[in-house]
Amino acid sequence: MTTASGPQVGVTLYSFTNEWLLRQFELPDLLQEVARRGLGPNIEIIGFQNFKEFPDVSDDFAARFRDLVAAAGLNPVSCAINSDRFLKPGQQPIDDADLVEYHKRQLRSAKKMGFSLVRYQFALPVHLLPEIAPYAEELDIRMGVEVHAPMWAGHPAVQAYGEMYDKLDTPVLGWIPDFGGTASRIPESMLEAARRAGAAESLLDKLKEVWLEGGMSHEKAGRLREWALAAGHAPAHIQAASLAFFILSNNDPKSWAALVDRTIHIHGKFYGVSEDLVEEAIDYATILPLFRDGGFTGTIVSEWEGHAYDTRDAFLQVERHQAMCRRILAA
Amino acid sequence: MLPVERIIGEEGLTMADGALRLAMRLPWYRSLPFSVVEVESLEVDGASVDLSAAKIAYDGAEWPLAANGDQTNAFWFVRDSAFLIVPGQDLVPGSTHDVALTLYVSPPYIPGMKRFNTQAATLSIN
Repeated sequence: MTTASGPQVGVTLYSFTNEWLLRQFELPDLLQEVARRGLGPNIEIIGFQNFKEFPDVSDDFAARFRDLVAAAGLNPVSCAINSDRFLKPGQQPIDDADLVEYHKRQLRSAKKMGFSLVRYQFALPVHLLPEIAPYAEELDIRMGVEVHAPMWAGHPAVQAYGEMYDKLDTPVLGWIPDFGGTASRIPESMLEAARRAGAAESLLDKLKEVWLEGGMSHEKAGRLREWALAAGHAPAHIQAASLAFFILSNNDPKSWAALVDRTIHIHGKFYGVSEDLVEEAIDYATILPLFRDGGFTGTIVSEWEGHAYDTRDAFLQVERHQAMCRRILAA
Repeated sequence: MLPVERIIGEEGLTMADGALRLAMRLPWYRSLPFSVVEVESLEVDGASVDLSAAKIAYDGAEWPLAANGDQTNAFWFVRDSAFLIVPGQDLVPGSTHDVALTLYVSPPYIPGMKRFNTQAATLSIN
């Protein structure tokens, strides 16, 4: 067995959401295609996207899945789990004991399918970590909370988690940075999709202006909406233009340095990599060296999220993204 | 329309025992409990269809649409169609109809988010 000496590249099957929803691949075929194109071996899978039996995967399915990934020569690194607290819209969230059990069900399923870590979410209240972490230790599976836009290293929720991590002092808990929180600009392909949806250039100009202002993403979305409604833009156009505020934010790319030590896995979020290997919105040349030089030896999974507004070839995009990451990491 | 926006399923519209059966897809990237999905309305040929006696059928189980909000532990696999069954209909096999479906989805890990999804299609009764 070899020991990783630097960051690895891999892929999350979330990149292939369009192909999956269109039923172009069954799971065995999708795994084979990822392997055939050399996009692994390390992969991430969202439990609730690709496994019908989630959150309670049977022993039979788990065994079949382990055989499938082994046959494809893939390594199931990360299983994304969810903190579904609001099961009845408009009513109170489920109680703490039920939420803890909901996480344990997913942890058990991930473990028996052979994943070495799970991605979890800040929707899990921090005070429940002392109940869940010992269970992860018992199962011998790590948990990384996803630091996703609008969050970033300096966000109060991240700081509260960091304090609890210090207190619990266990190797099973860590961070999963998602680079969408430190986008340097709005992806041009996203603007183009808004244009196709009918958004006027004046609305997109205002979007770019508000993007650069201070404040939380939801506040900026509100500001844009208020201006656009007063200016007579249609709600559907405003919705298309506002997507940027819901999946991206423009915090400092260098801010990730504060989280490198406890980073166990990375979501290499991206929107479009050009032929000359440059990502439209996220400044990889600034971000990746922080992790490489900080000693990170886990996996950066390519996470193409252009499918939220676009139907480009996801496989080609992932190939380019991995080539870009390798080039930067080798520099 | 993006794949994630589709709410009328590939299996389309059928009639059986006087009940209309419409295939629905979940407009989200992952499976969700049925309790966070609301069927807001169904129109056939421009007329609103009474859903008070409607049922949801999924994976061998069936429950009243009115009780869908209680299905917190029944997960709608994102690849599958679920079926909206409306009794007391008289659509003729082979006939063609304009169908408009509207759903709301409230992702259970994003407090306060309620997404509106609507789709219209011309479907033949299979």
